[in-house]
Amino acid sequence: MAQFSEVVRDDGVCVVRTAGELDIAAAEDFIEVVRASLGRCGAVEIDLGDVTFIDSSGLGALVRLRKEADSEDAHLYLFNVSAATDRLLRLTGLDEYFDIRASQS
Amino acid sequence: MSSAPSEDGFIGSERRDAGAARARNRGPTHPTRAVAAIGIVGIAMTVLSAWGAARFDENTEERLLQVQTRQAAAVLSTASLVIQQPLQAALDVQAFTGRGNASVFERGMGTNVGTGADQFVSASLWQRDQGRIRGVASEGASQGIDGRSPEGQAFLDRALKSPTSVVQRVVVGEQIRLAFALADPESGFVVLAERAVPANRRSRVDQDSAFADLHYAIYLGERTSLAELSTTDVDPADLPLKGVTYRTDVPFADTVLTLVTSPSRHLGSTLSQRLPIILAVGGLLLTIIAALVVRQLVRARSDAENNTETITDLFQRVDLLYEEQRDLFVRLQKALLPQVIPNIPQVEIASRYVAGAQGVDIGGDWYSVIDVDDDRFAFVVGDVSGHGVDAVAVMAHARFTLRAYLVDGNSPQQALEKCSRQFDIAVDDHMITTIAGIGNWRTGEIVLANAGHPPPLLVTDGNVDYASLPVGRPLGIGPSSYEPATLTMPEGSTLILYTDGLIERRTEDIDVGMRRLVDVVAPLAQDPLEALIDQVLTSLRDEDAADDIAVLALRRLSS
Repeated sequence: MAQFSEVVRDDGVCVVRTAGELDIAAAEDFIEVVRASLGRCGAVEIDLGDVTFIDSSGLGALVRLRKEADSEDAHLYLFNVSAATDRLLRLTGLDEYFDIRASQS
Repeated sequence: MSSAPSEDGFIGSERRDAGAARARNRGPTHPTRAVAAIGIVGIAMTVLSAWGAARFDENTEERLLQVQTRQAAAVLSTASLVIQQPLQAALDVQAFTGRGNASVFERGMGTNVGTGADQFVSASLWQRDQGRIRGVASEGASQGIDGRSPEGQAFLDRALKSPTSVVQRVVVGEQIRLAFALADPESGFVVLAERAVPANRRSRVDQDSAFADLHYAIYLGERTSLAELSTTDVDPADLPLKGVTYRTDVPFADTVLTLVTSPSRHLGSTLSQRLPIILAVGGLLLTIIAALVVRQLVRARSDAENNTETITDLFQRVDLLYEEQRDLFVRLQKALLPQVIPNIPQVEIASRYVAGAQGVDIGGDWYSVIDVDDDRFAFVVGDVSGHGVDAVAVMAHARFTLRAYLVDGNSPQQALEKCSRQFDIAVDDHMITTIAGIGNWRTGEIVLANAGHPPPLLVTDGNVDYASLPVGRPLGIGPSSYEPATLTMPEGSTLILYTDGLIERRTEDIDVGMRRLVDVVAPLAQDPLEALIDQVLTSLRDEDAADDIAVLALRRLSS
């Protein structure tokens, strides 16, 4: 199970906090939530800090959202990327594809 | 479409079975039986309570009849005194004068003799005189008892010996009379008076009297034959009284009056009288209501059971359909995997495809081995993200596209680059990771290109490690370029390609799974290839994992 929540930061960036397992069961909901954020904000940060697992469908969802952002001239950033997630992105050749922001803490 | 009729037939037979099961289950709770049971119990209880109330009412009636009859008997006993009183008065006067005085007697008794209901028909005065009883005076109609006759003398004599008056029935023509005689033994006077009993012997009693609410028959003496009947309020032809009756004796002159009564109307309270009917009607109504309610409940329960069964049936059918669908997908998937692996000289090849755990969500994992030319062969292992028939379709597309490019003489990186233009995740929802390779069996040289796929494991004598490959983007993101890597397989070495189902666990980092694969393979390095693959799958396959697994292993044999 994955949970999503969205906050709009002072600088106008939408932050979608994602927690739990970003897998095939959560992918559709995740896409809906972030897609809505992309509709509201020109820039969306996906906070992956509390994500415990990402499968290929979860990665696919991130890729789809990135492609949609590109086609709408919006910005999509990944934020709070854990070492495990970073490893997964490198393993799948996607680390260069996403704009990954360093943790602010 | 040859499968359609058999499928319909199958579903139809399922329905019939479910219907039969419902019919069997409905048996024990059939509404009619429950209603019949309630009806029998309800009617039995109604009859019992109504009968009990009726018995109670009857007992009450008997008790009340007894009480009222005793009151009536008390009234009746005073009648004897009332009758005796004028006779006593006449006697007292005669005793005072000392000798028989006819005119005094006639004056005294005059008012008491006549044709009125309370009057004597006749009265006469007698006096004992030296063993004989002679008449002194007479008043009213002719005497029924002639005092001079032997019977008359005996009657008068009886009076003289009795401390009370004496009484006797006398028939005069059509008329029945009661003859009373009262004597004063000291003076020897005897007064004889006769009273008529009404012709039909019926006397209507006053509603206020003690006889109200009673039918009664009064007999002179202890016998209750018609001949002894004195008065009654009913037609003598209807005697004796029927139903609940009560009998009592009242001292009367020198004998008794027998009083027999029955209630002329209900003596107890109306509630007591109506209670049996109220209970009967109320009980029947309650029975009917209970039966209806029970029928409703039984039907509701039966409906609920039917619904539950229907839902269970549906679930079972859905499960069955899922299973069928899954079987179909697995067959489809297997059909898309190579039926025959080409024979490559000096290379042993082993492959496995394991479907994920329960559910129809089959994955899109695949492998291929392709004979390219005399020296070279190509191979591919790939994984389409997501599950389901769409993923399998994308897999088929990717597999045959890559195969075509590789057969056509493209290098692995060229094949991947061309493929990257063919797939778009925004269009077909799926992303593909894959490794394509071309090997030369003579030299053991292998060229690999990787589109986001986990690296292959190279097993050489004494060393087990992942091949270090540059990783390009998965297919589906858009046009991408790929960097090839070349490695040489020594004789006896093994290259193991796989999909992420083999190493991925939800609860741990991917590195942990990759290290586990190394640990499992290391001791098996020299095992026969088929046994090695089987052991790897046995050790690493998570029975509950939803993801499917494809494994392709190449071993370069010694020349």
